[in-house]
Amino acid sequence: MPREVILVDSQLGNLDSVEHALIQVGASVIVSSDPDRVATARMVVFPGQGSFGPTTRALVDGAMGAALRMVIERGDPFLGICLGMQLLFEQSDEGGGFDGLKVLPGRVRRFPADMRAGEDPDAARLKIPHMGWSDVQPTGEHFYFAHSYYVETTDPSLVMWWCRYGSVEFPATISRGNVFGCQFHPEKSQWSGLRFLRSFILGGRA
Amino acid sequence: MLKRRVIPCLDIKNGRVVKGVHFANLRDTGDPVEAARAYDTQGADELCLLDITATTEGRDTFVDVVRRVAGQIFTPLTVGGGVRREADVRRLLAAGADKVAVNSAAVANPLLIRQLADRYGSQCIVVAVDVRQLKPLPGETDPLYEVVIHGGTRSTGLDAVSWCEQAASLGAGEILLTSMDKDGTRDGYDLAITREVSRRVPIPVIASGGVGSLEHLRQGLDPKEGAADAALAASIFHFGLYTIAQAKHYLADHGIPVRPHEAPRGVLITG
Repeated sequence: MPREVILVDSQLGNLDSVEHALIQVGASVIVSSDPDRVATARMVVFPGQGSFGPTTRALVDGAMGAALRMVIERGDPFLGICLGMQLLFEQSDEGGGFDGLKVLPGRVRRFPADMRAGEDPDAARLKIPHMGWSDVQPTGEHFYFAHSYYVETTDPSLVMWWCRYGSVEFPATISRGNVFGCQFHPEKSQWSGLRFLRSFILGGRA
Repeated sequence: MLKRRVIPCLDIKNGRVVKGVHFANLRDTGDPVEAARAYDTQGADELCLLDITATTEGRDTFVDVVRRVAGQIFTPLTVGGGVRREADVRRLLAAGADKVAVNSAAVANPLLIRQLADRYGSQCIVVAVDVRQLKPLPGETDPLYEVVIHGGTRSTGLDAVSWCEQAASLGAGEILLTSMDKDGTRDGYDLAITREVSRRVPIPVIASGGVGSLEHLRQGLDPKEGAADAALAASIFHFGLYTIAQAKHYLADHGIPVRPHEAPRGVLITG
């Protein structure tokens, strides 16, 4: 029987490709923007693109934020993607500072503007956003990233896979109990991304 | 470590791939969905669809192509061509595009870039810049490049590097830089302007125009030559001259970091 997944629609970007990828790996997907529906979900995927701002503030302070916290506290499998992962943490520096859901310890920071591609001070400045395919450790698999902000956590035991961009090593995936998150876009990461989603769907783990 | 990207580009006219794509296993060489799927399977890091239709009906057809292609691939999809206003961007993103490229409309109204970036996020706004080298005046050593619009038919008087810097500061997420001098020549990218823009702007640059060999891709991505973050090409892949996988192998063998080609393993449960 297909696993039923609630895909949270919170006005943080297009959900079609995430839905499409979940269906490909065997999920039965229900897209919902209704906090009551989300609160009763047995499995939740919470994607997001873009930035912390008025939309995330309304989410965090509102009924959807409460519903997401409820699912997480109850122990049902939860996956946050990109901004959806960042929102699990306490706070972001973005736009002068916005609160997250405060489920996990850490804050969201911007990549420093002056990172260089090598040790040489004349080496090219690294581009921001970090956009494209990077490998994660320890698996060595490649995933597609598109972000200017990353999670800096005070609890390294949360981090499953790391990614490095310039001088910054940041969590590519995090997990604690039933809660998972990925900074990359699994729906855009071809086979490695689909495998990642499939692990979550089949095992409630990543 | 961030890898350099290889991006095949399909020109679409009235819903069909212009010139067709010649792979042994394609039934319909002009079908954008089949071509896109083939590139995805070959390991393209991203796919680009450019609408070269001029008519309104053609535009609607293009949105439908975007929708059908987006439903078939699991890599990022950049689309462009004829994007004039915010509503065009919204329509293309809603159809499943991950990034939308704006060109002439951004030149006419640079603040459109900021408006789009604020609304949809910088990561989905690409500014496409077509450039042409100006004939050097007597005594000039460094060539100057001008921005051209409407498919290279109209000059703007804008300096290419300054315009790219302005686009970046207005919130563009990437620059798609095409040399109109090189486009279609198969002589290789214009490395001088690609390198200059890549070094000056803080956002990723996609090199475009002129690729005729795998060595040209390498040149575009080499930090000492084109220094681009991604290499876009059309005809060398379309005509089956090289596969994306061959391009990846060539680049890796020549010291350019790329995502290794991975054959599909049993991931798809349905479909």
